[in-house]
Amino acid sequence: MALATALRRLSDARLRRLCGRTAAGLTAGARLPAQRSFTAGTHALRSDDKVTVHFVNRDGDKITVKGSPGDSLLDVVINEDLDFDGYGACEGTLACSTCHLIFDEDTYKKLGAVTDEELDMLDLAYGLTDTSRLGCQICLSKSLDGIMARIPESVADIRQSTDGSV
Amino acid sequence: MALVNHLTASCWRNLQGGRMHKQLSVILRHLHKSATSEALEISATGEEAMPQRLITPADVGGTRRIKSLKEMPGPSTLSNLVEFFWRDGFSRIHEIQNEHRKKYGKIFKSRFGPQLVVSIADHDLVAEVLRAEGTAPQRANMESWKEYRDMRGRSTGLISAEGEQWLKMRSVLRQLIMRPRDVAAFSDDVNKVVDDLIKRVCTLRGRESDGATILNVNDLFFKYAMEGVAAILYECRLGCLENEVPQETQDYITALHLMFSSFKTTMYAGAIPKWLRPVIPKPWLEFCNSWDGLFKFTLIHVDKRLSDIKAQMEREEEVKGGLLTHMLVTREMNLEEIYANITEMLLAGVDTTSFTLSWASYLLARYPQVQEQIFAEVTSALGPRTVATADDIPRLPLIRGLVKETLRLFPVLPGNGRITQDDLVVGGYFIPKGTQLALCHYSTSLDEENFPDASDFCPKRWIRKDSTDRVDNFGSIPFGYGIRSCIGRRIAELEMHLALTRLVQRFHIGVSPLTTDVKAKTHGLLCPAAPIHLQFTDRETTS
Repeated sequence: MALATALRRLSDARLRRLCGRTAAGLTAGARLPAQRSFTAGTHALRSDDKVTVHFVNRDGDKITVKGSPGDSLLDVVINEDLDFDGYGACEGTLACSTCHLIFDEDTYKKLGAVTDEELDMLDLAYGLTDTSRLGCQICLSKSLDGIMARIPESVADIRQSTDGSV
Repeated sequence: MALVNHLTASCWRNLQGGRMHKQLSVILRHLHKSATSEALEISATGEEAMPQRLITPADVGGTRRIKSLKEMPGPSTLSNLVEFFWRDGFSRIHEIQNEHRKKYGKIFKSRFGPQLVVSIADHDLVAEVLRAEGTAPQRANMESWKEYRDMRGRSTGLISAEGEQWLKMRSVLRQLIMRPRDVAAFSDDVNKVVDDLIKRVCTLRGRESDGATILNVNDLFFKYAMEGVAAILYECRLGCLENEVPQETQDYITALHLMFSSFKTTMYAGAIPKWLRPVIPKPWLEFCNSWDGLFKFTLIHVDKRLSDIKAQMEREEEVKGGLLTHMLVTREMNLEEIYANITEMLLAGVDTTSFTLSWASYLLARYPQVQEQIFAEVTSALGPRTVATADDIPRLPLIRGLVKETLRLFPVLPGNGRITQDDLVVGGYFIPKGTQLALCHYSTSLDEENFPDASDFCPKRWIRKDSTDRVDNFGSIPFGYGIRSCIGRRIAELEMHLALTRLVQRFHIGVSPLTTDVKAKTHGLLCPAAPIHLQFTDRETTS
């Protein structure tokens, strides 16, 4: 995975500071196996290469942003500094399901294959639907221009409703 | 490593320490994570401190009284002490979970002296707790680990660190070993270890009169797991699966065994107050000795790699390598942090994997029909000889199901801990910040509500009809969930998937007449209570 991307994933400034040295450290000449290249370059993209994405936040507000092809939807949320509480807690490492997004059916079909690991994590997502995906697993391409992604209702709002234990 | 261990250790410690939990008797509709403490500032005296703005008319409509911890059911302090310290409840922690759940319900409290533990034995409530986590969740009190590190001038690692320090290291390591596609790159390294595992099976069974039996398979899988983790973490082979195990490897295994076997004494090590150590020195000494052994081994291997890298750099050669090389070159963590994390990851990645492999092969032997189904799947996907890699695993859903089902029946960590970092309301009870929770994974994964015919071994239950076929499976989360879940999960899965695929492909696994019904016991981790002896006979297709 590209550390450059990884760095961008780190949402808050404190983490940015903690990891800020890593990019410089990588010039030391280490080469990892191809699959583990940590030095992916960034292409200079013309603005018309950008892909438009609409997010609908938990209040129902529509937020329109642009992302680069190859970026994940989680990358877009982080790059654009979108404030979705608790979103993408594990930084796209498939350890949680907080980057859960809901799509309409047509969009869902265009999003590409789902891995078993993503499905396992989706099982643990709150407010799961048939057209749910994890934002960290969806890579932007021109064919996804103009897609709409809805942030599911927050867990906290109704957390006690599942209770029936006492 | 045994988190139950830490959990109970902290209970025991606090038994001496005497930290009373404030009993709060407040009427609250709902408190949510970060909002609560900041917005509410519930006073420690237990006064009602409910800001008006949190009670909305909609809330009031469905208001139920939030109960206090005082009202929560649970065994009495005395019966708990008898259960655990007199009747050795520690080895039956998993069964006690079930018994208490039946008796007290989905949420109950246990007291170990003044230390309170709130057990949560319901998948919805477990989900609530884990979903409400903040940025650096805490499992249990790790003071004894920290004390040893301070004493020796060593860093904490992912298991023992907390807060910012933990988050910093987790952020580095998760970018390296958490993504399945990154971990798939270790496929070839792991397969070389699987080659040796298969050879070792052939060697060991050749020593038995029937030419088939492997005595105590866990011993074999322990060495496989250790070799596998080391191949990834140290970028070198240790020779665990050779006839002659190198001395330094043998020393490490001894240190590791000491760590695991002295579970109870090491548990007390942290619990016994410092002033008592001159009187009862052994637990703390053993604890330190085993850590010394573990660190020593890491230092040997990490320092060796470091000097190799330095030599290469001096010769102006290109430095190539894997995980350890990357860590040493980039220095996103300092050297002490690398030592500590490598040590803790090796410690955490050996018997967890080996117990699961032991149970999986035991279950395959006990359920020959299931084994045949999996064999059929493997042969149809791969044929008799193709060596599976990570890329083949998506075509082997029953192999994935086998691992999931094994961990459901025998979750290697039968319970996990959390110390609440905010005031929470769980199951209708107000749980103040700082409360030790025990998430009862063993109990939820054997709950009929979550898994029909829960005691049956049925890897098929994990097979999806299609990609929209979903289950709410918080009942079985053997690796945990969220940002403090098992960092080695994907590596462990890879090691288990590749080993089990090859074993099933190559051998028919049967129960040895020497093995009877093997039960589980808790020894920090959930492990076989008796040795598992199995027979490995060649499949005709491979002969």
